[in-house]
Amino acid sequence: MNRREALFSIGAAAAGAGIAGRASAAELRGVPAATAQTADHMPGPIVRGGDFKVFTDQTDHATLKAVFDRLIPSDDHGPSASEAGVLDFLDAQLAGPYGDGAAYYLEGPLQPGHEEEVMGQKQFLETPRQRYAKGLKALEQYAQDNDGASFAALSPDRIDEILTGMEAGRIDLPGGVFGQAFFELMLQNAREGYLSDPIYGGNRDFAGWTMIGFPGARYDYRAYVDRHNEDLALAPVSLIPSN
Amino acid sequence: MANWKKIGAGAGAIAAVAAIGAGTWAYETLETSRSDVADDNVTLATFEANPEAAERGEYVMRMGDCAACHTRGQGEMAGGYEIETPFGKLVSSNITPDTETGIGKMTERDFFNALRQGIGQHGLLYPAMPYTAYAKLTDADMHDLWAYMSTVEPVQNDIDENAGMPFPFNIRLAMAGWDMLFFKNEGFDGDPVADRGRYIVDGAGHCSACHSPRNILGAEQGSAYLHGANVDGWHAPDITSNAAMGVGGTSAEDLARYLGTGTDGVAVASGPMAEAVQHSLQYLTVDDRLAMANYLLSVEDSGAERTAPAKIADSAELAYEVNCSACHGLNGEGIVNAVPAFKGNNALLADPSSLIHVMLNGARAPYTEGARTAAGMPSFAWKMDDAQIASVLDYVRNSWGNQAAAIAPAKVGRMRETLGASQPISALPE
Repeated sequence: MNRREALFSIGAAAAGAGIAGRASAAELRGVPAATAQTADHMPGPIVRGGDFKVFTDQTDHATLKAVFDRLIPSDDHGPSASEAGVLDFLDAQLAGPYGDGAAYYLEGPLQPGHEEEVMGQKQFLETPRQRYAKGLKALEQYAQDNDGASFAALSPDRIDEILTGMEAGRIDLPGGVFGQAFFELMLQNAREGYLSDPIYGGNRDFAGWTMIGFPGARYDYRAYVDRHNEDLALAPVSLIPSN
Repeated sequence: MANWKKIGAGAGAIAAVAAIGAGTWAYETLETSRSDVADDNVTLATFEANPEAAERGEYVMRMGDCAACHTRGQGEMAGGYEIETPFGKLVSSNITPDTETGIGKMTERDFFNALRQGIGQHGLLYPAMPYTAYAKLTDADMHDLWAYMSTVEPVQNDIDENAGMPFPFNIRLAMAGWDMLFFKNEGFDGDPVADRGRYIVDGAGHCSACHSPRNILGAEQGSAYLHGANVDGWHAPDITSNAAMGVGGTSAEDLARYLGTGTDGVAVASGPMAEAVQHSLQYLTVDDRLAMANYLLSVEDSGAERTAPAKIADSAELAYEVNCSACHGLNGEGIVNAVPAFKGNNALLADPSSLIHVMLNGARAPYTEGARTAAGMPSFAWKMDDAQIASVLDYVRNSWGNQAAAIAPAKVGRMRETLGASQPISALPE
């Protein structure tokens, strides 16, 4: 290592305060000078909704809408899940890496037979997209078998009854669909869609954030942290400014 | 480097002037008697430097910021920095003592001719090399710099400086015309010791290369000395004693601190100035930086005045709070030694190119002994469209006592294209 390298290395720079004269200069190494957004860090486009890529089957779409609008119905607190774009949100998610199960281990169990016991919960080899494709058809089949009608045509009370039964583990669906797990998946996704940033398609017009009083993607609350017991009236803010 | 478009408009004129060829003018411009003090026998590759001279020469190299253009990832001083001009691409040369691809075969006289007169070993240099400023270097500094250059590690890196220049700009002799018009073949006209500040600013420091606007042929306008100018998508601000737009309201101590650390506690250097601070100015002695500052504060007031204010959009305050205030402060106060304040920061008020530049591509403060955060400004290109960027900058430029004209969203759009910044994701197809 020559003198220059020694001087410029980070360690020497840290110790440089004690060095007089010309040594009192330091250059940063290993930190990129450029801070421009690179292609691999670019977020995807904003989900505007309306153009379904996954829920293209009318019956599937109607079944899911019927479920979501019972999980989050339209009422005094705000619009329903479908009105707030949650189907658009989920459609976009299922069309992407989430739908592919990109984050999941999907190679199958090494020792088949007791994976549920080992993992403590039901295990799936299907991707989320496959689970919806299968689960929505199974819900429709269940309604046809038990009520002689389409699922979407059932009364709100009847839908609640089925969903409650699934949640409690009392109802499994035709074709080997585990009712409780599918219910949990739908509930989870409905919440995510209703409460995620509007750029992902749900939470349209900040319906979800307004309902719970969440001010959104703000960076810093120091201006407010000392203001107690007052309505700060903070308007929700999206990651992407809308005006 | 500045105003290349304007230079392009005058390209024809350059050719015309070149055609004038060999007159008295040419003689005065190109005669090299100033280099008589230099040895013309020993080459750089074989020169045995006095270590003390070489050490003093390293300081001259720092003042001149040779590395800014000649060290670009291909080895120390090995060249390879590509400068885009409307005439084509220029590449900085290999100035290591390598005999094949560097300047190892130059004698000290050749070196003096190149540095102070732009007369290189392959023909005349392009004025992207600031020999117009280096002409002011004293013989003593030149001898020392020569000694230092002989201690640089030779690097084999073959560079064809003007291969990217189409005809007729690849003809180096055309620069004779330019030199005749704009190059003063004269040394420093004062006492380099008593006038130390001016000697550094106008000589090795070549501050005016960026901070003075250039005429249609790319020569600095003496009448607008240090009035501020645009360079490569950045605005080098007014650094005259003007208090409204320049550095006139700053103390010499604060200005010297800026030169040494990249910040005076208000502004923070970014872009090419961050590089100049990091690679050059921070290496200067406190006395030299103070001399520079005192000189700048004595430079004749540019007379620039603040323009009429822009109307601030209703949405801009929230946009500022949400996107900017965490670092730049709700009151534009910034973070001392790390993040620029907007309050009392004159550099914001003239041409907004630098502001748009950092909004689109981000920036990093220089990393210096005195200010080590090297804070990064993230890009907002993906997030804000042209109108949103213009709007939030209008807010910054017209709050906390600032006052500046509205920014046209179309200007942001043009820079977005020029800089290759991404479109906002709101504009991407689904």
